[in-house]
Amino acid sequence: MDITILQLVINGLLLGGMYGLISIGLTLIFGVLEIVNFAHGEFLMLSMYAAFWLFQLYGIDPYLSMLIIIPVFFLLGIAVQRITIQPILNAPPLNQIFMTVGLSMVLQNAALFIWTADYRTMKTSYSALTLKTAGLIISFPRLVAFLLAMALIAALLIFLKKTYTGKAIRALAQERKAAMLMGINVYRTYQIAFGIGIACVGAAGAMLIPVYFVFPSVGSLFVLIAFVVVILGGYNSLVGSLAGGLIIGVVESFSGFFVSPHLKEAIYFVIFILILLFKPTGLFGRA
Amino acid sequence: MKFISANFSETLFQPKIYFPLILILLMAVLPLIPQNPFYEDIIVSSFFYGAMALAWNLVGGFAGQISLGHTAFFGIGAYTSTLLYLHYALSPWLGMLAGVALSVLVAIGIGIPCFRLKSHFFALATIAIGEVLRFLAAYWRGLTQGGVGLLIPFKPGIENFMFKSKIPYAYIALVLMLVMLLICYWIRNSRFGFHLISLREDQDAAESLGVKTSRAKLMALIISVVFTSISGTFYAQYILFIDPFTVFSLGISIELALFAIIGGLGTVAGPILGAFMLTPLDVFLRAWLGGVSAGLNFIVYGLVLMVAVKYFPLGISGWVRTWYGPFLQKLPGGRRALKTEAAAVPSAVTAKSLEAAQAQQKASFFEVRSLSKRFGGLVAVRDVSFQVPKGKIIGLIGPNGAGKTTIFNLVTGFISPDSGEVLFQGQTITALNPPHQICLKRIGRTFQVVKPFRGMTVLENTMVGAFARLQNAQEARRLALEILDFIGLSKDHGLPTSSLTIADRKRLELGRALATRPDLLLLDEVVAGLNPRETEEIIGMIKKISDQGITILMIAHVMKAVMALSHRVVVLHHGDKIAEGTPLEISRDKRVIEAYLGEEYLA
Repeated sequence: MDITILQLVINGLLLGGMYGLISIGLTLIFGVLEIVNFAHGEFLMLSMYAAFWLFQLYGIDPYLSMLIIIPVFFLLGIAVQRITIQPILNAPPLNQIFMTVGLSMVLQNAALFIWTADYRTMKTSYSALTLKTAGLIISFPRLVAFLLAMALIAALLIFLKKTYTGKAIRALAQERKAAMLMGINVYRTYQIAFGIGIACVGAAGAMLIPVYFVFPSVGSLFVLIAFVVVILGGYNSLVGSLAGGLIIGVVESFSGFFVSPHLKEAIYFVIFILILLFKPTGLFGRA
Repeated sequence: MKFISANFSETLFQPKIYFPLILILLMAVLPLIPQNPFYEDIIVSSFFYGAMALAWNLVGGFAGQISLGHTAFFGIGAYTSTLLYLHYALSPWLGMLAGVALSVLVAIGIGIPCFRLKSHFFALATIAIGEVLRFLAAYWRGLTQGGVGLLIPFKPGIENFMFKSKIPYAYIALVLMLVMLLICYWIRNSRFGFHLISLREDQDAAESLGVKTSRAKLMALIISVVFTSISGTFYAQYILFIDPFTVFSLGISIELALFAIIGGLGTVAGPILGAFMLTPLDVFLRAWLGGVSAGLNFIVYGLVLMVAVKYFPLGISGWVRTWYGPFLQKLPGGRRALKTEAAAVPSAVTAKSLEAAQAQQKASFFEVRSLSKRFGGLVAVRDVSFQVPKGKIIGLIGPNGAGKTTIFNLVTGFISPDSGEVLFQGQTITALNPPHQICLKRIGRTFQVVKPFRGMTVLENTMVGAFARLQNAQEARRLALEILDFIGLSKDHGLPTSSLTIADRKRLELGRALATRPDLLLLDEVVAGLNPRETEEIIGMIKKISDQGITILMIAHVMKAVMALSHRVVVLHHGDKIAEGTPLEISRDKRVIEAYLGEEYLA
């Protein structure tokens, strides 16, 4: 294979791993609560700021700060679910959509109010570090982020397979009423699922910050991608989200090289429409 | 005064008519009052956002399709007219029409794939559309100057759609808003409006009553987009500067939705109330807080939105409605209006006006031939054939999971068969899809789990059915009232469906299907869950329907009903037809007894 092509595939996969992690949180929440979290990108933005400030103020390395961010975002997710989502779980879709849309507006503009619209980046000792082998150049922080993302996704899948709580989450995603009859505490399980979804996007934020900049509307950039990934992967399949993330990452890397990096959004959109037209259940979705 | 007929002046003197006219007059003098650009700007913005919120409400409120990408069309309107003006000196009035044409094309291209999506995903797709157009507008620097934006040089003149004073802008926006309001009012009271609201409440039920749901949604989107695009041009001519981040901002789409929700989603005038309340609030918030920091006004908006969807889903209209009617009555002429209103309900007519078809005893009136359907590994229906002669009542029975409802869904186009055909009046109607086509062929159906349109009254529910054959709202209303009288719900015609008992909901379901004037009526479990007296009543009703020449195919679990009504009975078991015959023959059939009671009972 041409070395350039290989390089593009690697770049794409490294990027796609992040997309996968962000999208898995979204898919988990949709699968269990049947709600599209339109504020998902804003949680990514919040975690990027969290990692940024932990580094700026206390010198905590972003990878280390994940140890703080993941549990804090899990709890944040539970609290947000309890306050905003729980009351509208059985409301018509319109109320559900605008609840999370409203939340997204509040969070994004609160960030604008507190931190202003400035783009912020951090310089770690390894931000520009690259590994060079066999003519390939691999960004060290992107590789670390990819490996961490894969490890987290694997841990999440094992958790859902092996533990009681994990099984309860999956049961709820498949058949709400039957799960209730089996004695699953539905509301607690909803909260945990939402918390895990937010923790995933929280971890993704901390991994992104060494290679990306943060500003109040950074979330909407990523969430648009995550939505395409979720549709591509089939909106109720976690493995599908991972695969969809990797595919979109590679597509982005190729289109950036062969077409133009500025047109990537348009290309996502074309993919989005094509899936809707020809395979509305996505690649891995159940009908 | 002799020119005006007594009838006309009488109509005009009703508060229902003259009070809104007074409000409109007040709005018309409003722009002349302040003599101050700051307040004039608030008035222009209120009218302008009122028009846009009305347009949004047509899709988001009436049809229930939540669009968060309406700025796409706003932006297309703004950019098209501005670019044509700057590059070709084309008058923005004409550029506006070009923008409308382009917006409609884009709306059709986007609407057809996206309307297949369910609620959340439709909203998501529309966000993506708005965002992508914003990126494209920023990307094509050669054409749009990208993020720098386009400045329109100020050359006042009516041909340039530019004015020195804000007052002409205010009147243009007012006209735009009032035209949109009239259109919404007309739609709400027409066949089209009934179609939109019925599909919002239950798409399957709407289809079964002959509503072309895809076409109705697309029509609503097109009308909405026309006005949104015009508003885009208006905005460009008013501000004289456009850039991708303002005219394609997701924020505007959300604002429009917010106005409609706060004012009253799906109501005719609610969005105007929302816009009139929130637009000035927004301007003041920006004036007071904007200096302190950006974003604060949007924090307030977001919070208002979250609180509103939780606690006030009906918006201001919900509250206005509680006093508006009584208030109108207190106005001069109010009493009289009430009287005419009460007399407007026509006296009930017996159902004999329902078309009594010429009973032409023809064997192949309706026929199912070798119909098969499998779901994954499960065979739901296997090679089932039977005929329904004209004018007869045929019972379709079988234990749970026998495939009865699947046959109904196959016949009415909700699912397509793997093999086999369905013939109706000598014509093959297999897999006619979407289901409204079946209804228009004069096959009506009810659903096992009743599907009333919750946002509509009993009368309005029945009118949706009547509109399958009728264009005119008055005629549909008359037919619906006759039907309601026949099914015994005429005294409840003004009630919301939520206040009906389960028996009455079943009657309504039956009446609604009857209003489509079917030749063949498919009844799915119309007596299940009813007490003996209610069952008797419905049995009587079905007999009467049959007496009028309407052929009936009914699924029933209640043997009493099947035995009392059916001329013949078809028995299904695990997807196979195991028996067919008169009720008496069936009750003695070994295979039937075995299927229902188990083998041991045979011994």
